[in-house]
Amino acid sequence: MRISKGGLLVIMAFLTPLIVELRTVLSWFGIRLSVVETGALGLALIGAVLIWALWPSNGGTEAKLA
Amino acid sequence: MAMRNAYIDQFPKEARVIRAILWSSFLALTIGGTLGLIQGLHRTNVLRFIPSQDYYTVLTAHGVLLVITFTIFFLVGIFTWAVTTSLDRGVKDIRFTWGWYAIMMIGTLLVGVSILGGVVDQIPMNADVLYTFYSPFQAHPAFYVGFVLFVVGTWLAGFDWFRTWWAWKKDNPDERIPLPTFMALTTMLFWYLSSIGVAISILAFLLPWSLGIIDSVNPLLTRTLFWFFGHPVVYFWLMPAYMLWYTMLPKLSGGKLFSDPLARVVFVLFLILSTPVGIHHQYLDPGIAEGFKFIAMTNTMFLLLPSLLTAFTVVASMEHGARQRGGKGYLSWLKALPWRDPAFTGMALAGLMFAAGGFSGMINAGLSINYLVHNSWWVVGHFHLTVGTAAALTFMAASYWFIPQLTGKEIWNRSLGLVQVVLWFIGMTFMSNAMHRAGLFGMPRRTAEPQYQGFDFEPAVGTVAEIDAQVALGAALLTLSVYLFITNMVLTTIGGSTSDAIPDNTYAGTLSGPEDAPVIIDNLKLWTSIAVVLVIIAYSLPLASIIDAGGLFGPGIDPWKPSVVADPSLVLESVRGVMP
Repeated sequence: MRISKGGLLVIMAFLTPLIVELRTVLSWFGIRLSVVETGALGLALIGAVLIWALWPSNGGTEAKLA
Repeated sequence: MAMRNAYIDQFPKEARVIRAILWSSFLALTIGGTLGLIQGLHRTNVLRFIPSQDYYTVLTAHGVLLVITFTIFFLVGIFTWAVTTSLDRGVKDIRFTWGWYAIMMIGTLLVGVSILGGVVDQIPMNADVLYTFYSPFQAHPAFYVGFVLFVVGTWLAGFDWFRTWWAWKKDNPDERIPLPTFMALTTMLFWYLSSIGVAISILAFLLPWSLGIIDSVNPLLTRTLFWFFGHPVVYFWLMPAYMLWYTMLPKLSGGKLFSDPLARVVFVLFLILSTPVGIHHQYLDPGIAEGFKFIAMTNTMFLLLPSLLTAFTVVASMEHGARQRGGKGYLSWLKALPWRDPAFTGMALAGLMFAAGGFSGMINAGLSINYLVHNSWWVVGHFHLTVGTAAALTFMAASYWFIPQLTGKEIWNRSLGLVQVVLWFIGMTFMSNAMHRAGLFGMPRRTAEPQYQGFDFEPAVGTVAEIDAQVALGAALLTLSVYLFITNMVLTTIGGSTSDAIPDNTYAGTLSGPEDAPVIIDNLKLWTSIAVVLVIIAYSLPLASIIDAGGLFGPGIDPWKPSVVADPSLVLESVRGVMP
C-alpha cells in the first residue's frame, strides 16, 4: 500500500464533499448530472483512489508511514 | 516499568469531578442528537412520528441541549483540566468545584423539565421558546431560573480557575501565564462581559414578565441583549476547540506548537472582538439604524483575523509534527500524520470543516448579502459546520485522549472511534451542503412545514426531494456517529481495563515559546478594558435608541404562550385570513 489504512479512510471521506460539490460546480458549466450519474462518478473516483492506494509503489516497497 | 503519569494519577480528585462533568455533556449530546434526527426526518417528510405542533418543543430541546449544555459542560471540564495541568496544581477547594457543577446541573434540570412540559401533559410547564427565547415567546419561569443558574455556575467555574491562577502567581511571580491557562482565563473574561447581556435580559425583563410582575417587555431590547451574549457564546463554544487545536493537535502530530505568542494574540483578539458584534444577527431587525449594523459588520470581519492566524499556526505545527515523523515533500508530509488516531483525525477533520463554516459565515456577516440567506436553512447549515462540527467533532475526538486520562483505562475500540469521527465528517458533508443550498433558494429555517402552499422552490441544481434526502441521510449518519461515540465511551468507562500504557498527561511544547511574546500580551486588565470600551462604542447608542423608541418595557405587547393544542378560534381566524 502507498498509504496507511487510516490515511486511506480519511481520503475516502474527503472525497465525499468533493463529489457532492462537484455536481454543483459542473452545473455552472452547463453539465447537469443526475443523482445516479453523480453516484457513478463518485464510485469511479473512489475506485481510482483505491487502485492508486493499493498499487505497490517502487517495485513493491510499501509505505510504512503513520 | 515506568510509573504511569496520567491526569488521574496527578489529580485524582479533579479527575473525578471532570468525569462527572463530561458525562453530563455526553448525555446532553446523546439526547440532543437523537432529537436532531427526529427533526431532520420530520421536516424532510421522510418519517414523521411527532405531530408538527410538537416540533418547536423538539427544536428547543435540540438547540438548548447541544449548543448550551453539551458544549459548555465540555468546556468547563476541559478548562479545569487545562488550568490544573498547566499550572501543575489542583484547584483550591474541590468542594467549590463540585458546588458550581451542582449549580449547573440544577439549572440544566430546571430548563430540561420545563421544555419537556411541552410534550408531557403531567408537567404543568412550557418553554417552547427555542434556544434564543425571543419575546413575545414566553417560557415558564423555571426555564429562565434554570438558565440563570447554569450561567451563574459557569461564572463560579471561572472564579475557580482565576483563584487557582492567583495562588500559582503568588508562588511564581516572574513566570508567564502557561498557555492553556491563558486561554481559559481570556475566554472567561469575554464570557463574563458578554453574559451580562443575557443576565439583564432575563433578570430585569423576561423573568419578571413570566412571573407576571411586569405586563410587557420591549422585544427588540431583549433580543438585542440576547445577541449581546449570543454571538460571544459562539466563541465560548469554539475556544475549547481552539485550545485543543493549539495544545493537543501539534502533540498528537508528533511535534510542537509553531508559535506560543501567536496563540496568545489570537485569544486576546477574541477577548477584544467577541462581544461588540452581536448586532450582525439582527441585520433584518427594524429599529436598529443601518450605521450601527455597519459597525457590527466591520467588527465581525476583523474576527476573521484570529481564525486565519489559527489556521496558519495549527497547520504549520502539524507539518512540523509530520516532518518529525519522517514526512517529506511539499504535500507528502500529510501521509506521515497519525491518521489512525481518532483523536488526531477527528480534530483535523473538524478544523477542515470549520474552514468551510468560516466561508459561509462571511456571507452571514456581510450586511447586504446576508439578506439573501437571513433566517433560511443556509444559517442552520452554517452553524452545523461551526458548533456542530468544529466544536462537537473536536470535543468527541479529544475525548479519545481525555477519557483514558480521566479513567486510567484504554479506549474500548480505537478503530471504531476512527470510523465514528469519519462518519461524522461524511454525515455533516451531506447535511450541511444540502442546508446551505436550500437556504440559497429561500427555504426557511425553524419550521416543521417548510413547503409553502401554491409555491414551489426552485433549486439551482437538483430537486427539493434530493435536498431533503441528502439532509435525512446526513442526519441519520450523524446520529449513528453519536451512538457509536457514546457506546465507545460507556464501554471504555464501565468495561475497559485499567492500563499502565496511558500516555503522560502533557500538552504540546512550543517552537517559539512565551519568552518570545511581549510581556504586555499577558496584561489581562488592559485587554479587558479595551474590550469594555469597544462594547460601549458598539452598543451604547443602539441600546439608547431602542429604549428611546420602544421604552424599557415595550409598547404593551402581550405574551404568546405556545400551546400543543391548536386553539379553534385561532385556526378559524387563520382560515378566514387566507380565504379570498
